[in-house]
Amino acid sequence: MNWTKRYPGWTMFGSMVGLLFFLWGVAIPLSAAPDPIGPAAQQFAEGTRITVWLTVISGSAGVVLGVIAGMGKLSKFLPLRWLCDFYVWLIRGTPLLLQILFVWLALPSILPEGVVLSDFACAAIALALNVGAYNTECVRAGILAVPHGQIEAARALGLTPLQGFVDVVLPQSLRVALPALANNLASLVKDSSLAYVISVVELTMVGYRVQAESYQPVPVFLTIGVIYLILTTAFTTLTAALETRLEVGQKR
Amino acid sequence: MSDPNNQKQIIVARNVDKRFGSFYALRGVSATFFEGQVTAIVGPSGSGKSTFLRTLNRLETHDGGEIIVDGIELNDDIQHLDAIRREVGMVFQSFNLFSHLTILRNITLAPMRVRKMRRDEAEAKALALLDRVGLKNQAHKYPVQLSGGQQQRVAIARALAMDPKVLLFDEPTSALDPEMVNEVLTVMRELAHTGITMLVVTHEMGFAREVADRVIFFDEGTILEDTTPHAFFTNPDHERAQAFLSQVRHGF
Repeated sequence: MNWTKRYPGWTMFGSMVGLLFFLWGVAIPLSAAPDPIGPAAQQFAEGTRITVWLTVISGSAGVVLGVIAGMGKLSKFLPLRWLCDFYVWLIRGTPLLLQILFVWLALPSILPEGVVLSDFACAAIALALNVGAYNTECVRAGILAVPHGQIEAARALGLTPLQGFVDVVLPQSLRVALPALANNLASLVKDSSLAYVISVVELTMVGYRVQAESYQPVPVFLTIGVIYLILTTAFTTLTAALETRLEVGQKR
Repeated sequence: MSDPNNQKQIIVARNVDKRFGSFYALRGVSATFFEGQVTAIVGPSGSGKSTFLRTLNRLETHDGGEIIVDGIELNDDIQHLDAIRREVGMVFQSFNLFSHLTILRNITLAPMRVRKMRRDEAEAKALALLDRVGLKNQAHKYPVQLSGGQQQRVAIARALAMDPKVLLFDEPTSALDPEMVNEVLTVMRELAHTGITMLVVTHEMGFAREVADRVIFFDEGTILEDTTPHAFFTNPDHERAQAFLSQVRHGF
């Protein structure tokens, strides 16, 4: 019996605690490792924290963006639909690396004087916009998967369209969209590594620097790889458990 | 027709038209329904009987004529529509219970959202209604865990929770396995005796004959017969109605 399926609540709790514990304590085992890892343990730990921060912030913003744009794509109001179509078309049709560079280099010249964005903020904005576009399609598909009878029942009971959407359509569509959203989140953990080009000192950047100083790429990149694997495992365990939690009342 | 003279008109339909593209689903349908009356609406598939029922709470918009429910005209005015939907409950062929909510939450949702009832009040009421349809011990299950007949009884309880003046039934037993039809009909029979106005689109001729005060026979988008069950089942005026009856009588 799958532990995640049997105790989804505990699994979610466990993976969250595990992730926090890992973030807090990752330097301890690393510092015990031989050169070149040991001396750079604090750098690895800091890079891991930045990567997780970047993922959590842009991932959350991306879900909100995805829900808004996903609804917008199904709106009866044509200009809104065009806007959301345009957003998805633009983001999906251009490389993420270009988007990150654009936010970092081009956006400050467009923004009003005095608005200063940190490197981290630039990376978070670009990643959120990117994952938001992919989430849009997942949310849209989720909304379309809700049977029309559910909406009719809500309307027949006197719920307003907004109440029907919030209480009936959205919860059911997110349940459908969740596996795809989780997939996007797992990609985001890894895509956040592209932030290194705009000098955000996240995990990959740390690895690059440490190997450059030590001339030992093999142990350094292996360590980085293992840390990424631990992070993605924590995130996917978390979302898989959440999926099970939301599966209530669903045909198996 | 049980003496309409001293009864209050609750639904008035005048010359109602409904088109789907170039196909006329309803042609100039007129009918008046009185408070406390139980009307069975019968007819062959595609005759417009379900469409007519669905125009009465505007799940379908009508293209011509007028519909007045409890003195309020059904039109594009959203406030009229909300007022009408609060008075008119509906039970669907495919139940349309909210799959992500427990049985109890299915029933309390609309009273809490639309009537602004407090949760404890709404739950007490829901449990009383579940008791009435014989499902009090199922309150914390999800729809998928119930049989079709049980789901339909919950759907009836859900509609009743809004204290509607009129209940519309759209082929409430057509999606059920034969052994479950009776448990739903029993609940409907009891309801009919409480004095609530019921419009029932059905293929259950036994039910129509035994419980209804009035039978309306639809054919090709018009009302062909509008009479008492006795007159309809013993001596229908139109050949189409006779043909229909001889078709459905098989197996009686």
